Amino acid sequence: MSDRSVLELLATHPFTADLSEDQQAQLAACARIAHFEPDEYLLREGQPATAFYLIVSGLVSIEVFVPGHGPRPLQTVEGGSAVGWSWMLAPSRWEFDARALERTTAVVFDAERLRALFLEDCCLGLRLVQRLLFIVTERLRAARLQLLDLYGPPRER
Amino acid sequence: MVKPAIATPAATNPFFPLPFLVISRRRETRDTVTLRLRPLSDVRLIAQPGQFMMLSVYGVGEVPISVSGLPRRPGELEHTIRAVGSVTRHLVALHPGDQIGVRGPFGTSWPLQLAHGQDVLLVAGGLGFAPLRSALLAILRERWRYRQVIVLYGARSPADLLYRRDLSRWLQRPDLVLRITVDHPDQYWRGQVGVVPNLIRQVTAFFEPANTVAMICGPEIMMRFTIRELQKHGIPDERIFLSLERNMQCAIGLCGHCQLGPFFLCKDGPVLPYSRLAPFSEIREF
Ligand SMILES: Cc1cc2nc3c(=O)[nH]c(=O)nc-3n(C[C@H](O)[C@H](O)[C@H](O)COP(=O)(O)OP(=O)(O)OC[C@H]3O[C@@H](n4cnc5c(N)ncnc54)[C@H](O)[C@@H]3O)c2cc1C
Ligand code: FES
Repeated sequence: MSDRSVLELLATHPFTADLSEDQQAQLAACARIAHFEPDEYLLREGQPATAFYLIVSGLVSIEVFVPGHGPRPLQTVEGGSAVGWSWMLAPSRWEFDARALERTTAVVFDAERLRALFLEDCCLGLRLVQRLLFIVTERLRAARLQLLDLYGPPRER
Repeated sequence: MVKPAIATPAATNPFFPLPFLVISRRRETRDTVTLRLRPLSDVRLIAQPGQFMMLSVYGVGEVPISVSGLPRRPGELEHTIRAVGSVTRHLVALHPGDQIGVRGPFGTSWPLQLAHGQDVLLVAGGLGFAPLRSALLAILRERWRYRQVIVLYGARSPADLLYRRDLSRWLQRPDLVLRITVDHPDQYWRGQVGVVPNLIRQVTAFFEPANTVAMICGPEIMMRFTIRELQKHGIPDERIFLSLERNMQCAIGLCGHCQLGPFFLCKDGPVLPYSRLAPFSEIREF
């Protein structure tokens, strides 16, 4: 798909919609559109983290593989959100699996070019890192709530 | 034939349980059942969605339980009960033909009239779906009165989902937005995983914050995080309604068992707008 389609998606995705057209164009130059079929993996634990995914539509399961049990979903991520930040931090390897549960469309950024862009344009870099931090914080809060086992019987809470 | 009297709490002695017959029992989950009850007397207790009844098992005790359905015949009651202790364990073990005592209805109800002509957002966590189900059934019965109707439901695991038959019917309805999530999926679950406040972000396109009435019921921590998320999306505090549970005894504002700050939740609640609770948010129990 052409850059224009990436641009259109960036103009409406909550992660990038309020950036300037120039900034969206800079980002579009590092990205492509990808489609994933149900059960197809976007990324695998332990592999080099070379991409950042803005989920446009569909549903993605963030999971860990438990020997003897298979994949254990931890959280799902839907259209309008993002997947993967391990590329920002050394050693840049994925810590979990991400698998499409439904047909999923994503804007996939090349991590190396994105890192270079962040260094070149620190203002844009800072804005996007803040957004990523916001998502990381939301996921952390959700994970903490899940740990509380809120809906368990009163005595077990 | 004598016309049955329609009872309000004032028309009957609020301390005196009336006999009811269990006419059906549906198992919802491992520890939860839904009972339909029919009065054995001519008195009809008319409960509104959000209100609760005091259900008593003779010789065991009495507990507050919300109405979870609408009457199919005048005077019938429907309740969803989870076995957590002595009284609820006895209630869950009842079968058609068994008798129990019922007092009520007590407390405030969901603001269904306020929601006429508005978008309605129901957020349920765990057993909190029980009181919201009766609101949803009332809304769907008069669907034309409301704009968008959005239901967000979070449960512990797929095996803990209540009202499965309703859920699969509701998922087919084009006039209802229903999103379900679980905290702990099993290997067959293909739906969303995560906590229920996270679902709000996904449905913002369906409601106009200033014209939305939100109703929340679930564990208090879940409600706290849900309120924050609703506030982030611009729903005013006076349009966010919660159902709060406290241990209750008299249910008519006499004993003080259910006190939370200045409120006696058996009569000022259980349903309250967050704008009334917010000034007392230093109460860590909420
Ligand atoms: C307004 C209102 C509506 C309710 N609606 C429903 C309903 O629709 N379905 C339902 O199953 N339950 C509902 N409850 C909760 C129900 O009343 C309690 O589970 C019940 O009183 C427990 O009594 P028990 O004798 O079985 O257990 P107990 O032996 O009294 O208690 C067992 C355990 O449950 C805890 N517990 C007791 N009461 C509550 C409570 N209110 N909230 C949280 N934990 C509690 C106790 O601390 C203890 O750990 C409602 C409560 C209120 C106040
Ligand atoms: S239960 Fe007695 S005052 Fe509320």
